Amino acid sequence: MKKYKQPSTIGRFGEFGGMYVSETLMPLLLNLDKSYKKIQKDKKFKKELNDLFKNYVGRPSSLHYAKNLSKYINGPKVYFKRDELNHTGAHKINNCLGQILLAKKMGKTRIIAETGAGQHGVATATVCALFGLPCYIYMGSKDIERQKPNVFRMKLLGATIIPVESGSKSLKDAMNEALRDWIKNVRDTFYIIGSTAGPHPYPKMVRDFQSVIGKEAREQILKVEKKLPDYLIACVGGGSNAMGLFYPFLNDKNVKIIGVEAAGKGAKTEETAATMTSGTPGILHGSYSYVLQDNDGQIKEAHSISAGLDYPGVGPEHSYLKDIKRVKYFGITDKEALEAFQICSKLEGIIPALEPSHALAYLIKAFKNKQKNKVVILNLCGRGDKDLFTAAKAIGFDADE
Amino acid sequence: MNNLDSLPKKKILSLFMTCGFPTLNQSKKVFNEMLSHQPDIIEFGLPFSDPMADGPIIQEANKLALRSKLSTQQSLNLIKEFNKSKNNTSFVIMCYLNTVRKFGLNKFIKNIKSIVDGIIIVDLPFEEEDAIKRSLSKNNIHLIKLISPMTDKKRSQKLLKNSKGFIYYISATGITGSNKLDYKEINKNVKSIKKMSSVPVLVGFGIKSKKDVIDISKKTNADGVIIGSALIQKYFDIKMDFNKYLKSLKKFIQEVKI
Ligand SMILES: Cc1ncc(COP(=O)(O)O)c(C=O)c1O
Repeated sequence: MKKYKQPSTIGRFGEFGGMYVSETLMPLLLNLDKSYKKIQKDKKFKKELNDLFKNYVGRPSSLHYAKNLSKYINGPKVYFKRDELNHTGAHKINNCLGQILLAKKMGKTRIIAETGAGQHGVATATVCALFGLPCYIYMGSKDIERQKPNVFRMKLLGATIIPVESGSKSLKDAMNEALRDWIKNVRDTFYIIGSTAGPHPYPKMVRDFQSVIGKEAREQILKVEKKLPDYLIACVGGGSNAMGLFYPFLNDKNVKIIGVEAAGKGAKTEETAATMTSGTPGILHGSYSYVLQDNDGQIKEAHSISAGLDYPGVGPEHSYLKDIKRVKYFGITDKEALEAFQICSKLEGIIPALEPSHALAYLIKAFKNKQKNKVVILNLCGRGDKDLFTAAKAIGFDADE
Repeated sequence: MNNLDSLPKKKILSLFMTCGFPTLNQSKKVFNEMLSHQPDIIEFGLPFSDPMADGPIIQEANKLALRSKLSTQQSLNLIKEFNKSKNNTSFVIMCYLNTVRKFGLNKFIKNIKSIVDGIIIVDLPFEEEDAIKRSLSKNNIHLIKLISPMTDKKRSQKLLKNSKGFIYYISATGITGSNKLDYKEINKNVKSIKKMSSVPVLVGFGIKSKKDVIDISKKTNADGVIIGSALIQKYFDIKMDFNKYLKSLKKFIQEVKI
């Protein structure tokens, strides 16, 4: 196999990716790309980021052998890459620290971000507090409703939350508004995108910052198992936690890789967020990738119980990895994810976020009584605190008060 | 023949309107009204679910147009009905790339050939335009270029090489319908564009009134203006009474024809 080398200099993963934005943003993206290339060679930047990873985030995150769950599945040996132990409770902080250091280097004085589950919003608000920069978070009003704990967190951290009422009032619309804000405030503002989506250089940059997950996991598994894993599994919304885990393993052809999308009420229904299972290639948020759209290219609304996966698009690198068949993608429904959410809590004493609960559900479903003696690493990329109310409601538990 | 090649030298007026707004049938009346004033250019906006570069007013127009599941084909048919050859107004389509891609580039061009003189694809940057530009030019349709205050000189030079039709200068760093106009900056940038290209430069984004139109004409070197959001805004000002809207549209267009 040829060594994996994506994207091209203009941000293409095969035919996917690119920069499809108006001329108001184009010069900014080119400038961002240039600045990002420069800091990649900057030793001081690397050191600063690594110090923050270690002392602020608590990296490396541990690799936990989930013995009870493995026994329950009666299949492979399952390891959790525990990015839910990170400061702020998810993988999102890895990327935010990288981007805010870059923003500082570029002399930007105002930070904006979009958020769905609120995890990226919280992580952005956190790094803004740490670096003393004003922070504006765009969030769909539907998500504000279902992720209240995170809304309060962001406020405590000093961020201003701007509710978005357009469209489906969730992640896609928050991203539209954040992009519009950026177009209006091109001179002083840095837009911290929270996933491997959007125009180049974001998909590459976010992947690079998140790939600390996979690098650590690789070292850790080699230490305990003396071999590489047989499978990697991660949930895919925009695709950042998944790319973070997958990227350092892409050249290891014996490592099978699985991405799990949110299929909402079913991948064949209209209420789904399984972009690569149910979508077709198109352009959304400046990037050519799989998207949920109708015959006229109008973007459809996505649906998932998990706000972090409730997005009708997906990062272009995933589209590429799907088409070259390096990664396989599957959909998991709301119901299946909720079950896995409870199983993991009971068996491992870890309450996962609803997003990685999709990855867990696929693992339980596909590996039950199969693949014995194999080793799986699953990216447990977020903790479930933020989802307690949503989950309680869905399960039928009265969690008021 | 391409009407954009014979635009007047000064005070060019271009009017933008979303196809299918507020409904498909009413939209025909809106374009008829616009056309009756013989503006130099009419821009037909193809509605898109996620108009990233547009402000709240045009977003709302897109949403209303899409309420009844207006298809791309219906929008193109609407433009066809106005039979460009009967008048001197140039026809230009303004759209997002996903609409063209999903319809199919060749089929799209076949549909608009001899129907429109130009096209603005808002989210198609210079870096990605080659194939599309070639097909368009084979069919005598001009790909209109946008220049923003963020576009530096070196980049402008690349963008403006072989430009045709007109140049759309984005007057404010902002989305359509933004409010501040900085005439000094506009003039400086328009002058610099005119050194690089001989086609007319029109100023768009944020032009709302007769006064704005006159100021652009007096205080800058621009060859004309593009008005969009302000035309649509009238509909909401009048509390969505369609008959009143047509009247207020008439009055407004008469005013801005200076
Ligand atoms: C815990 C968690 N996992 C996953 C995601 C989905 O994003 P991505 O696919 O970029 O990892 C989110 C997004 O908010 C999240 O909070």
